[in-house]
Amino acid sequence: MKRTLTFSTIFVFVALSVLAETVTVITRDNAIREYAKFFAPVKANVRYNDRLEVLATQGDWYKVKYGPSIGYIHKSAVEQRVAAMSASYPGKRSSVSQSEAALAGKGFNPQVEASYKNQHPEMKFYLVDSIERYVVPDREVAQFITNGGLRQP
Amino acid sequence: MMRKLSLFPAVFVMLALFASCDTTGFGNISQHIGTAMTAVDATSSAARPISEEEEYYVGRAVAAKILGTYKLSTDAHLTRYVNLIGRTVALGSDKPYTYGGYHFAVLDTPEINAFAAPGGTIFITAGMVRTTANEDELAAVLAHEVAHIGKRDGIAAIKSARWTQALTLIGTTAAKNYTSSEISQLVSIFEGSIDDVFKTLVVNGYGRSQEYAADETAVMTLARCGYDPKALVSFLKRLEQRGKSSGGGIMQTHPGTADRIDNISGKIPATGAIHPRAIEARTARYNQSVR
Repeated sequence: MKRTLTFSTIFVFVALSVLAETVTVITRDNAIREYAKFFAPVKANVRYNDRLEVLATQGDWYKVKYGPSIGYIHKSAVEQRVAAMSASYPGKRSSVSQSEAALAGKGFNPQVEASYKNQHPEMKFYLVDSIERYVVPDREVAQFITNGGLRQP
Repeated sequence: MMRKLSLFPAVFVMLALFASCDTTGFGNISQHIGTAMTAVDATSSAARPISEEEEYYVGRAVAAKILGTYKLSTDAHLTRYVNLIGRTVALGSDKPYTYGGYHFAVLDTPEINAFAAPGGTIFITAGMVRTTANEDELAAVLAHEVAHIGKRDGIAAIKSARWTQALTLIGTTAAKNYTSSEISQLVSIFEGSIDDVFKTLVVNGYGRSQEYAADETAVMTLARCGYDPKALVSFLKRLEQRGKSSGGGIMQTHPGTADRIDNISGKIPATGAIHPRAIEARTARYNQSVR
């Protein structure tokens, strides 16, 4: 009886860890933040396709674990994928995540853009690059919001 | 009986541990299941929508095409101001993050218009900026464009047959890098997709229901940010006056402004009064940036 109980405990523990909810980062890069606010201090940086373990939800934010870091990420920066099995902290990727990563890299990707650019040298991608490089720092946006009597969502 | 039952969890535990293990520890197991994985890829991609990453690449090309038609403004002060307002409304939107982030740029033309390239690059013409009367109205225009991004209206303009064709090609390719024949086909589909989006954005405009939905989302975003949601209505009224004399631009690509005013008028969320000091601060920075 005691052994059955031990096995059952292990069963529940392992089942819960296997079925632990994970989300995958869908932005090129993002951050795990100390609390559920856009300008909260950054605890860890994450990249596209990184897997995060969900610990809780708080409004539009997930409380997540990524490697040793625990913090918050906005729901729009991640998505749930059905086949999720384990966290993908660097060096700990499942075969499913590798497959998904390959799939994610297919389709309209940098190789397609490069070929398109070669065929259309008249297209002003250098201007698009300059627009993308122009980034107003977070602290300036936060200050702009405060000075204008606006609200940080 | 008890002994048999106790074995079941043990087997499950072993299976579970196997499933959650890093398969790189199993040597070349991925080689053995390579064919199966390719089949899974092909099946799972068969009906998938365009990913955030793919949307980003389509958006970059659409933006490059727009910049072939319009000149990019070199007004650094105005560009910074538009980016600050744009970032603020994007944070208050339903989709604060996109794959490559939001970027805002001003087009140096008196034409009154604004375009949201898929993925998050938003263009507003100098003519449109000058049609606004204050920061809240400028925020209303940008919130409307951000709403189009959140709803993926640009991507929806791509003909479904074109994307199905792309998926068929993607699904049959195991490797991430394509052969020259495959890349040639995919680039042709990519080019067609860009044309679909460009035509919708610049020539034909979105459907009436998409514009109404973007207006409805925009007023909610404005309210969340602390901007006056009624600013969208006051802007549309001014646009209607200007449009009667100018024509073209936004009047060509958007449904009748009077219809948009009718649609949104009863849907403005109730908000508290804006503090006079906030109005003063916004007015000062608007006057400094919009000349």
